[in-house]
Amino acid sequence: MTALLDIKDLRVTFNTRYGEVTALDSVALHVNAGETLGIVGESGCGKSITALAAMGLIPMPPGRIAGGSIQLEGEELTTASEARLRKLRGREIAMIFQEPMTSLNPVFTVGQQIAEAIRLHQNVSATQAFRDAVALLDRVGIPSAAERARDYPHQLSGGMRQRVMIAMAVSCRPKVLIADEPTTALDVTVQAQIFDLLNEIQRDFGVAIILITHDMGAVSEMADRVAVMYAGRVVEQSTADNVLDMPQHPYARGLIDCIPALGKGETELKEIPGVVPPLHLLGAGCAFADRCTLKNARCETEKPLLLNHGHHLAACHAVEEGRR
Amino acid sequence: MGMSFLLRRLSYGLLLMLGVVVLNFFLIRLAPGDPAVVIAGDMGGATEEILESIREEYGLNKPVLTQLWIYISGVAQGDLGDSFFFNQPVAKLIGERISPTILLVITAQLLSIMLGVVLGVLAARKPNGVMSAFVSVFSTIGYAVPVFWTGIMLIILFASTFPVFPVEGMQSIKLRNAGFFTQALDIAHHLVLPAFTLAIIYLAQYARLSRASMLEVLSSDYIRTARAKGASEGTVLFKHALRNAALPILTVAGLQFGNLISGALLVETVFNWPGMGRLAFDSILRRDYPTIMGVLFFASMMVVVANLITDISYRWADPRLRGRT
Repeated sequence: MTALLDIKDLRVTFNTRYGEVTALDSVALHVNAGETLGIVGESGCGKSITALAAMGLIPMPPGRIAGGSIQLEGEELTTASEARLRKLRGREIAMIFQEPMTSLNPVFTVGQQIAEAIRLHQNVSATQAFRDAVALLDRVGIPSAAERARDYPHQLSGGMRQRVMIAMAVSCRPKVLIADEPTTALDVTVQAQIFDLLNEIQRDFGVAIILITHDMGAVSEMADRVAVMYAGRVVEQSTADNVLDMPQHPYARGLIDCIPALGKGETELKEIPGVVPPLHLLGAGCAFADRCTLKNARCETEKPLLLNHGHHLAACHAVEEGRR
Repeated sequence: MGMSFLLRRLSYGLLLMLGVVVLNFFLIRLAPGDPAVVIAGDMGGATEEILESIREEYGLNKPVLTQLWIYISGVAQGDLGDSFFFNQPVAKLIGERISPTILLVITAQLLSIMLGVVLGVLAARKPNGVMSAFVSVFSTIGYAVPVFWTGIMLIILFASTFPVFPVEGMQSIKLRNAGFFTQALDIAHHLVLPAFTLAIIYLAQYARLSRASMLEVLSSDYIRTARAKGASEGTVLFKHALRNAALPILTVAGLQFGNLISGALLVETVFNWPGMGRLAFDSILRRDYPTIMGVLFFASMMVVVANLITDISYRWADPRLRGRT
């Protein structure tokens, strides 16, 4: 089976005042039709850049896709024309963002904004598009949808706005929905509702979801497979159960260890010592080496490749050499 | 938009006008110079008795507060008094001259906003591009150069070297009896140079302002959302971004309206445009109190109306302001 969205060996660089910095290096990911892929990692690890690359929304300049490929149903996106990408965006591949408070345009009603997305890709009248928008708002669980459609974003709560964003994203029944930390800015109770909604939408619309998050709880609830990213690379990839139950890469193990368990009498939060190195200071070796308890001389000089270790893909010399 | 909002703003406007009338009345009397002396000078010299009889005739020997009361109650009934110099009602003098001024000011305002915004948007699209550099240089020059100099240069260039536009006045004498359409075209032809002269300063400012405002808006999250929907660059710029970037432009447009009117005074003098500017200028030299106050009254009213329109258009541009008073 060919993957719906297939990213291979992707390399994205940015021109900064430190010179050319590699934001993504040899990123390989895929998502199959109807499944959910979780991408986890700390801020700045390249999760969002990966998503923007798939949408064709990396600002160029300063950004540049320096190598690799992104294929949607076999169609190459890295070399596609802007006009072609515009046709795909919103129709085949849609995205919801972290900040529902600022992601909607303040001067248009939410109904207008959803209707616009519909009319960009479907040949329907303005009235029909607005009617469809109301139906979508109803579908994502907004009460009195017909009246809310005439509201401006500032009249809605954060949770409601994220529902609007979801309605807008699925308005053209895309095959892939990228959700970039969709609940980070929301209250915990609302977070659970949004995840439930995304699960429902996936069941009804058969859409593949790429869930970008640093919330391991969300991953365990939503994802079929998980990719762990660190400093612009994928360091581990497997099924969600595998990654959560027996993480291989020392960084993935650290992440899982950091999840506080209730009722175990723990009084201190665990952490991974050290910080993610700045991307312009990455050396020849493994980017995690400085924070790793298992490092040896090879880790300092040679970048580990993402290799298959039974049930896991992992990029780690220690895993490869069986060091524990 | 609620009626209560409009009523409230209108009553603020009326209060403001009352304040303006009182302030103008005292400011003019604080300035040095005695109208009786100027009038008598025009009549060929004066003795103290003649001066006294002039003061008596124009009510200048009454206590100042009494004069103020007479003036305000006149204004309230639409009577702005009679000009010392022309011996005609001020309202009539202004009525004959206000239309050309309004035409000039509004044309210049629309020209500067529309051209300025288009330049600014184009510049914001590529902040390091040629257009951006042009806008920066152009707005620095446009802002620094005095309006009478621009006027004279435009006259030399487009009326003398390349004689495509008329130098002065508002209408050609030989077309005075032509049909409406021909006359309108003739006035538009005469309007080009003065309107551009007046517009250039503000055009430069709007270009700079809309460039900055657009740059800020273009980096916001909802612009990314619009792109993620598959909207074209034109839709993103002119529909999603410009409406949001319009607020600071509207603010400045409302505030600049007053400056535009005082700029019109100079431009009217340079181009011999038959508006209020010339009347204001001459009346100040003649210490013609009622006429000066009348001109100021109408100029202030135009500013108050412009600000009211700004307030209303704010609410159109930004739904977050609706429902507030």
